Amino acid sequence: MSLEVLAAGVVLIGLIAYAMFAGADFGGGVWTALAWGPRARVQREAIFRAMGPVWETNHVWLILIVVTLFTAFPRAFGDLFTALFIPLSIALIGIVFRGAAFAFRHYGSEGGARLPATGIVFSAASILTPLTMGMALGAIAGGQITIRGGQVATELYEPWLRPFSIVCGLIGVAMCGFLTASYMTTRTGGALREDFRNRALAASLVLGGLTTAAIPVAYADARPFFDRLGSPAPIAVMSAAVAMGVASLVVLWRRWYALAPPVAAGTVALVIAAWGAVQYPYFILPDERIDSVAAGHATLVAFLVSLPIGALILIPSLVLLYYTFSERTDRPAPEGPPS
Amino acid sequence: MFDTVTSARALMGMSLAFHISFTAVGIGLPLMLFLAEGIALRTGNPMYREMAKRWTRVAAVLFAVGAVSGTILSFEFGLLWPTFMDFSGAIIGFPFALEGFAFFTEAIFLGIYIYGWDRLSPRAHWLCTVPMMVSAAASALFVISANAWMNQPAGFEVVNGKAVNVDPIAAMFNRAMPYEVTHGTLAAYVTTGFAVAGVYAVAMLRGHRSEYNKRALVLALAVAAVFTPLQIVSGDLSARFLAHRQPEKFAAMEGQFRTERGAPLRIGGFPDPGARETKYAIEIPRLTSILAFENADATVRGLDSFPQDAIPDVRLVHYPFQVMVASGSFMLFVVTWFFGIAWWRKRIDPGRWLLRALVAAAPLGFVAIEAGWFVTEFGRQPWIIWHLMRTDQAATPREGVAFLLLVFFLVYVALTIGLGLLLLRPSGSAARPPQEAPDVA
Ligand code: HDD
Ligand code: HEM
Ligand code: HEM
Repeated sequence: MSLEVLAAGVVLIGLIAYAMFAGADFGGGVWTALAWGPRARVQREAIFRAMGPVWETNHVWLILIVVTLFTAFPRAFGDLFTALFIPLSIALIGIVFRGAAFAFRHYGSEGGARLPATGIVFSAASILTPLTMGMALGAIAGGQITIRGGQVATELYEPWLRPFSIVCGLIGVAMCGFLTASYMTTRTGGALREDFRNRALAASLVLGGLTTAAIPVAYADARPFFDRLGSPAPIAVMSAAVAMGVASLVVLWRRWYALAPPVAAGTVALVIAAWGAVQYPYFILPDERIDSVAAGHATLVAFLVSLPIGALILIPSLVLLYYTFSERTDRPAPEGPPS
Repeated sequence: MFDTVTSARALMGMSLAFHISFTAVGIGLPLMLFLAEGIALRTGNPMYREMAKRWTRVAAVLFAVGAVSGTILSFEFGLLWPTFMDFSGAIIGFPFALEGFAFFTEAIFLGIYIYGWDRLSPRAHWLCTVPMMVSAAASALFVISANAWMNQPAGFEVVNGKAVNVDPIAAMFNRAMPYEVTHGTLAAYVTTGFAVAGVYAVAMLRGHRSEYNKRALVLALAVAAVFTPLQIVSGDLSARFLAHRQPEKFAAMEGQFRTERGAPLRIGGFPDPGARETKYAIEIPRLTSILAFENADATVRGLDSFPQDAIPDVRLVHYPFQVMVASGSFMLFVVTWFFGIAWWRKRIDPGRWLLRALVAAAPLGFVAIEAGWFVTEFGRQPWIIWHLMRTDQAATPREGVAFLLLVFFLVYVALTIGLGLLLLRPSGSAARPPQEAPDVA
């Protein structure tokens, strides 16, 4: 495998990790907005408590993606941000407000000060960000960004404000909701767990519906994407994604909770991997191939060598983090952070 | 009015200025936590544990804001400067990738630290501050090395406007890197030391002369006392480096319009580009020549000796430089005063004037940091990559950056107000000192 493709693989893995971990935090905002019924407040609090220690770490995956993009694919980085100026700006604003609202609310409530409207800001931003990021990915895969003579040739709204991208954006939101609800089934018990189970089931049906709908929409609106669906690799990954999705329905239905998080994460990972399989060997369909936008040899070597060394520090640290904070969140915390 | 390049520059500068205020504390506080909790472990004095606990909450909020504001920056590289990144991403991306690992490590251990007070053994908990300290300093090192590269580009060749033969390691270890990294990282410790000290000085001025407040004040000032002199020495080295390697920046810093033998040091003064002189400055004869070249007769190049379309705006460089040096000098003075008197009287009992001076010095670290970055960044203009790519060639072709500037201005206002409400809310009881530094927002 060439260095370029390896580096592109790092981007894809970064995206998958970001979706699997931070996606669940965004989903937390989705369910905060949609909390209803007698246990609405308890639902919100359980979500909040689960996110506290991990959201910042989860967020760093995004930084890793951005950094990999501009280190290994500087041309594509410039072009993507030029073509997707608006959705990426909106996603960024969403990220900022979400993080700040969470932090302010969290530490504020410990100190006894509740800042007004942080809950609403947190929810709104949590929906906006996966929506616009999904739209951006949809525009890239849909073959909507054209590059002529080294310059982005598409207009400001053209590549992303269209049916296929919008479906992709909705898929992004549904994924997040699905992940959070599935993860929360292992961190809660009793009626609260039932609430999250039902939400996870609903979300997985929505996600299944949206991904199915994406195919005819692609036929009408994103032909380059549709035309590539039939090749062996995309078919294989997509079938695996469907199988995993069905498995998650079964797992949730039978209440095999221990399996719910890995199966949900696997489903999401495979859906994103399918997106990658359709794209390959293009970075930005249809004008920029992975090898034509990659950085030079020395840069790729330095970058790729740094990854395993970094991983040597990171993986044990991450295990320690998730291990330290993996217990249930519906019981009173032993002790929260100091106030 | 606000064209794309102006808006992009204003937005970038605003975002960096915002980010650096939080990260300075994000780098400095882990050291303070390490010290406080370490002392608590060694002496068994619960006061220091309490100190560390209170600082932790502040660290958590500031780190969160540092993280979101840093994300803004990494997106802005693409949103505002795609041409620049297209050229330099492959060259300076490497330190940013390493920085990514450093962030990761810091975020992980900060998470464990904040939420793990009673889940880890005291020793293990204390040890978490070590990776936090190291990774925070490492992220500063990596990102500043990228900025140093913009000042002293290295590690590539240009063929047909494209960078070839890229050597990311050589790029990272460019000539300016040791100077900028040392000075830029030390600044964080100086700043944190004074900011924390200021909080306790306020409490003591209000009459809360508790043992706790005194000990916290001494700990913070001890950090300041170690790092402030180092900071000034390294600043002097930076200035000398610039005199040799970036003489137009140096000339702008010193308000030196004409090339001169035995150039004086100008303190204060108003550079007037029309008249080509710096008016009303206090001039110390020959001192600039001595400081920069260790020779009272050395020739210092003036701005006149450079192509006039390739020099920075002297006012944007000279004033911030004066502000930085003045702040540094005042901080050194105050910390010397504090420990001098304590040594003389053999006890810690600062008087009202000393406390007032400490309060006045509390925000000066931030002021000096902002001013220092203005020197570095404005002094590099009109180049985004020194002598290679001009800033106006690097901006995005997109319209609407002015709108983005407005939006982010409002975002920062909102964040500042939120933080202010959170950190400055009246503290519950009088016995509890206000622990937060008001000036970081
Ligand atoms: C606590 C903060 C602080 C203090 C007290 C000082 N500085 Fe500073 N200075 C910085 C914080 C800073 C900084 C914000 O960290 C900068 C910006 C870029 C950098 O590397 O450090 C900087 C830049 C900077 C530069 C430009 C470097 C470049 O463009 O490459 C020079 C020449 C000096 N400083 C010199 C000094 C001198 C002679 C000081 C003596 C009092 C001084 N600084 C005190
Ligand atoms: C954190 C402290 C920093 C501050 C306060 C700061 C400040 C500024 C300011 C005021 C500008 C606008 C300059 C002008 O319009 O004349 C600017 C521009 C810029 N800075 Fe910095 N800077 C900082 C650090 C960095 C670092 C570490 C990097 C890169 C690694 C960097 C990269 C840039 C870029 C790409 C621009 C835009 C191009 C230009 O105006 O030259 N800055 N910064
Ligand atoms: C001199 C300039 C800079 C210094 C000293 C600095 C230092 C730091 C530090 C210590 C952190 C950790 C968070 C905290 O402690 O609050 C941080 C966060 C961050 N910085 Fe900077 N930074 C600088 C400039 C930049 C620039 C130019 C970028 C643009 C790419 C950037 C991107 C980031 C990002 C993305 C984060 C968030 C990481 C996370 O999610 O935890 N920083 N910075």
